[in-house]
Amino acid sequence: MTAYPHDELGRLIAALPPAPAGWVTAAQELPAARATIEGIVTRAVADAAYRERVLADLESALAEAGVEPTPPILEELRARFRSG
Amino acid sequence: MLARVAAGSDAELVARCRAGDAAAWNELVERFSRYVYAICTQGFRLPEHDAEDIFQDVFTRVYTHLDGLRDDDAFRPWLAQLTRRACIDHLRAGARESPVEDPEPPDLDDTLSKLDEALTVHEAMATMPDNCRDILDRFFARDESYRTIGEALDLPAGTIASRISRCLDKLKARLEETGAANRREDG
Repeated sequence: MTAYPHDELGRLIAALPPAPAGWVTAAQELPAARATIEGIVTRAVADAAYRERVLADLESALAEAGVEPTPPILEELRARFRSG
Repeated sequence: MLARVAAGSDAELVARCRAGDAAAWNELVERFSRYVYAICTQGFRLPEHDAEDIFQDVFTRVYTHLDGLRDDDAFRPWLAQLTRRACIDHLRAGARESPVEDPEPPDLDDTLSKLDEALTVHEAMATMPDNCRDILDRFFARDESYRTIGEALDLPAGTIASRISRCLDKLKARLEETGAANRREDG
């Protein structure tokens, strides 16, 4: 059997190096981030002053809520405010 | 393309994610993070800061569209297609002033095929005992030296090479047990 000589196996293992740890963690936190977005939107609907603060600085609002403000999360929050 | 080493396991993981199992989502991201990262950086040769945006975008799309996946066993090609499309969209958006007809690198299909094969090998590695999985990943994927590996795993540096060789034998046997190697020769 020569289908997987050692050097070829080594090349295939090396072809998938780990993604940066911070990226993986941010992606793993997506479900919690979406729950936080729901909380921010719900609060903003009920509290006009909070809504203004959030709209003025989405990144800070997310960071205060403990969510990494990655571009997709920011875009989702913007979209929620646009639609609501 | 190689057959899957752990057929069905992706489908089980996807089903658990769909049911709201947080641990399953963590596992899914962990299992496929290297694949998505490699498609962005090797397949499309994107710089890290662009790759990071796409990486997050892809997993956001996965999370939001998982309910729309018709065949859970087809998760892997679906993910590859999502990532490929996200990279193309990104390149097209960045080339608005001087549009390019085809933003895909000419050797993209070959690269993606290689990455798919690499993922199959990594999945086989994931079924191996921790000591083998760890030493192979550290040496090949993380490019660590014998000395670093020896210190991290509390092993004499002089034994690392032979341990790697034995673990590669075990990995090869595991791939052959599943028939992946035979299909590779045929295909």
